[in-house]
Amino acid sequence: MAALPAIEIRDAGKRYVKYEDRPLLSRASLNLGARTTRRDLWAVRHINLEVNRGECLGVIGRNGAGKSTMLRMLAGVTAPSEGSVTLRGRIAPLVSVGVGFHPELTGRENIYVNGTILGLSRREIDAKFESILEFAEIGHFLDTPVKFYSSGMFVRLGFSVAVQAEPDILLVDEVLSVGDVAFQIKCFNRMMEIREKAGTTVLVVSHNLSAIRMMCDRAAVLSHGEMKFDGPTPDAISVYHDLLTEMHDPNDDLVEDTKPLEPDVMAVQSFDIRTVEGGLSSHFEAGEDVVFHVEVEALKDVDDPVFTIIINDATGRLVYKEPSISRASGHFAAGNMLSCDIRLTANLPTASYVAHLIVLKGSLTHRYSHARPAMFFVTGRVLVAGLADLHASFTTRTLATVSEQ
Amino acid sequence: MPSDRLGAMAAGTEAVNTAPVEHEDAGFQPHSRTITLTSKPLPLMSVVKDLWAARYVLWTLGRQEFFSRYRRASLGVIWAVALPLLQAAVLAVVFSQIVRFRTGQHFVVFVLGGLTVWSFFGGTLSTSATAIVDGAGMASKIYFPRAVLPMIKLVASSYSLCISVALLVAVTLISGIGLHPSMLLLLPAALLLIALTLAISLVSSALHVYFRDIRFAVSAVLTIWFYATPIIYPVELISGPVKTLLWLNPVTAIVEMVREATVGADPGWEVSLISCVTCIVVLMFAAMILHRRFDRVFSDRL
Repeated sequence: MAALPAIEIRDAGKRYVKYEDRPLLSRASLNLGARTTRRDLWAVRHINLEVNRGECLGVIGRNGAGKSTMLRMLAGVTAPSEGSVTLRGRIAPLVSVGVGFHPELTGRENIYVNGTILGLSRREIDAKFESILEFAEIGHFLDTPVKFYSSGMFVRLGFSVAVQAEPDILLVDEVLSVGDVAFQIKCFNRMMEIREKAGTTVLVVSHNLSAIRMMCDRAAVLSHGEMKFDGPTPDAISVYHDLLTEMHDPNDDLVEDTKPLEPDVMAVQSFDIRTVEGGLSSHFEAGEDVVFHVEVEALKDVDDPVFTIIINDATGRLVYKEPSISRASGHFAAGNMLSCDIRLTANLPTASYVAHLIVLKGSLTHRYSHARPAMFFVTGRVLVAGLADLHASFTTRTLATVSEQ
Repeated sequence: MPSDRLGAMAAGTEAVNTAPVEHEDAGFQPHSRTITLTSKPLPLMSVVKDLWAARYVLWTLGRQEFFSRYRRASLGVIWAVALPLLQAAVLAVVFSQIVRFRTGQHFVVFVLGGLTVWSFFGGTLSTSATAIVDGAGMASKIYFPRAVLPMIKLVASSYSLCISVALLVAVTLISGIGLHPSMLLLLPAALLLIALTLAISLVSSALHVYFRDIRFAVSAVLTIWFYATPIIYPVELISGPVKTLLWLNPVTAIVEMVREATVGADPGWEVSLISCVTCIVVLMFAAMILHRRFDRVFSDRL
């Protein structure tokens, strides 16, 4: 008999009702003509999904796309308002940092409470107790109430119980971002291990695209509560990128700069991102050249304006910044248009990036103008993570024969 | 192998199944725990099964709830014994020296029996109404039947009940009533008390999620209910339609049963058992409907 999928979502939707809490004696409710305001809000709708045993599915989407609602339904914390969600096997949800620990209970008690909620018997927990402790690295805090734990210990213990419980379905939210890198790697390895050995189905929700790319062969994209895409991870990431472009409001984030603005000297007319061939583009492969093209109008006579390119990743972290300070750009008379091409190589891992451009006075004392930020996306080399792709080369060779066996 | 209709449909339509990893562990049943969530009420069996599975959680959290009250106090759990002891002593002084409804030194036992019942009943109800709402921290992250949350309060109060019942027995013996077989009635009385409190707690905690006035309504009702129950007075003292009302009060049966086990009950108290059992059955039925319907969606309103 063919195995049924571990997770099966059929046309599921979750409706939240936005109530306005209104005490009986408030003025508004004494106004009998007014109807109770009851607005329905579909957090997700028409979701169809099947995840087979042993598969690892990534779920990506912007904030408010319905990822958490979907995860809550899968965790069984809330039932869908329409359609159905079928889960075959034991589920371990790591939905947020709290992971369902009781703050007053000690680490030991919480292991038992959490373990039983995850479907283990006391005897099974006894058997796994040592390995749970070993993995969690909480040491002598075992008999301390977990409310005194650091957030790292909290997550370590939660994750440890969840993975040692050997669930059939593991749901992972952003929780892992709390632990340090060493623990993240440990968790990652452990997840891959139980997936391979026990056939655990893993569902990861994350904004960390490289993590998704690393772990999942398949990813689903949610947008405004709908499933936009479900398929191979690279394709999903590119769909997600397209969504980001569509929805990005350039006025949202202006470049912060301490220098006072001199707006009547130069004005940026356009700023876009192109390929070397000159066509507009926002998708690049790692190692491909990217050209930032800016057109500026000189409102007054100006000497040697400086162009500064700033690239942030989607979370706002600075990836790269360089002003054209060392290169004299010349004299421009009032009324002239000038353009500048900034060419760089996208030695970057998979992510979305935001490019900013600022035009400054040559002495850097004043900012003339800045361009509306533009977004671009890079499909990095597989398994490369971090801020930059530094192209490591690995050389291995046999040094000497150590043993003759 | 259990499979629902949709599952069977899916298996039929997917000719090529890409299930990747073969699992050969002996005794492993991949679909041993299949649940399908829809907007419909949960099957009764699945609620019962989940509740049974959560018994350890219930027991641990109930014990923790009880002991955490005394955890930081230097006298610790001694307080749990000292306070009811003090209450009994005060009663002994007040009712033997100051107020006298009824002749005889057994009046202390008479009142203590009623108060033992009431302190469990009233004390539990006033905390359990908010149990589901207060448990939001844990309940919104991980699933277990929400009925466990009010039950935790009940388990915690049961520790106090054990202490106060032991005290009641001690006071009964001290006051010279002596051991007699009807004392065994304390056990069914405790069971009835727990069942009635559980039924009301399950209903009130579920309603409180949707109507946040319930906790105040519960306090208000309890204030009246205390005097509407023959705790500090005997039923004999009352006559007319009010007496009928007393017999209809489900707590009366339990109080009278405790008295039957100690000082002797008002004549004709057995009638009130009918209303008590009826109340328990009706409320349990209501609790079942509420929890089957809302168990999986409580967290939306927390």
